[in-house]
Amino acid sequence: MKSKITTIMLVLLAAFITLGGTTSCKSKKRLAKEAAEAEYKSKVEQAIADLNAILDDETLWTLEEKEARVQTIKDWNLQNAEVDDLIFQVEKKLARERAQRDEEERRAAQEREQAAAVDVVLGRNFNSIANAGSTSQANRVINETLDMFESPNTPVLLIIKQNAGFNDYDRPTTIEKYLNYVKDQKKASEKVHDIKYNANGKINELELIKK
Amino acid sequence: MKKIIATLAFVMCFAGIALAQDELSFERKQAIDSLALEKVRDLSKYVKIVGSKETPFSEANRVIDRAEELFMSDAEIGVSSLGSNQITYYRVRKYFEHLMRLNYDRVEIEWYNIEYVSDLQRQPDGTYVGVITVFQTFRGYDQEGNLVYKDTTKKDITVYVKRKETQIGGRTIGFWDVLLGDMRVKETTNR
Repeated sequence: MKSKITTIMLVLLAAFITLGGTTSCKSKKRLAKEAAEAEYKSKVEQAIADLNAILDDETLWTLEEKEARVQTIKDWNLQNAEVDDLIFQVEKKLARERAQRDEEERRAAQEREQAAAVDVVLGRNFNSIANAGSTSQANRVINETLDMFESPNTPVLLIIKQNAGFNDYDRPTTIEKYLNYVKDQKKASEKVHDIKYNANGKINELELIKK
Repeated sequence: MKKIIATLAFVMCFAGIALAQDELSFERKQAIDSLALEKVRDLSKYVKIVGSKETPFSEANRVIDRAEELFMSDAEIGVSSLGSNQITYYRVRKYFEHLMRLNYDRVEIEWYNIEYVSDLQRQPDGTYVGVITVFQTFRGYDQEGNLVYKDTTKKDITVYVKRKETQIGGRTIGFWDVLLGDMRVKETTNR
């Protein structure tokens, strides 16, 4: 009798443990599922917010930071129609921004290269005008130099002093007047500081600085 | 009383800041001093070019235009000679036209000892005003190349330097505008 009771108790205990364990395991799974769903929902919300902010230019992120953010969102692989649509739009926008920036950088590099070459030519011409043996010789170089400019009235800025990032200028003049000044004074005491070009590659603003 | 002292201190502090903003640093002041001197040296070259009988008429006229731009609109230039005590004052263009027509076959004009006699001083309206003195030696030669006239004149030129602004390429550029005022004859000798 005693051994029967013991056996029943053991069976009940085993059943209890088994049932209890199963219930606990189910609960953990449910919690994990809920957590995963919450995480997914949060990621979707975050992705939508970030992608919209990029689309509406409401972030202070650099282009690289925006591209990195989109990549992170793509890596989440959210498989959400709204997110996918936004990614498509944002990628198109960033591609345009990237192309525009690449073009700006290419143009700036080209201008720097051109400026370096023009800088040398202008410096040489200023010296030729200042040291010309005759007025006609100086005038010939002046005319050659003027061809590099948008017009004889292209503005020329003359920096007389640079101080803590601040420029002190002389009265602005035009390229034609400046070149004649170099001829009259027989001195080329300024060097090229900055050059701006128009769309046709002609100089439309020249900044000179005292040597 | 404490309130009055505090208010006065506050006002003086702001006045001090305003004054400090008006004051130019030594380097910047030096830069505008040099700029004004350079304008007078530029003028000396223009006088030489216009005075030279070798300068073509069109070039001389162009240079007169440039020289005129160096001066204030109502500025006058004094002319003296050894034969007379009178000093005649001409408007800038008239002076240069007179210089161009001088009755010599060759003319030599030299300016030297160009320096400040009165440093640029800031006026209440913000303009810097100073006086630069120059010595001019004039030599006139006849057809045979003989020196027929020579004098040396000491002249004082008032210079005005003012901060101005202009628009270039959509930007506002602040610049120092140097303008020459009257050029007064102080002394004429036969040296």
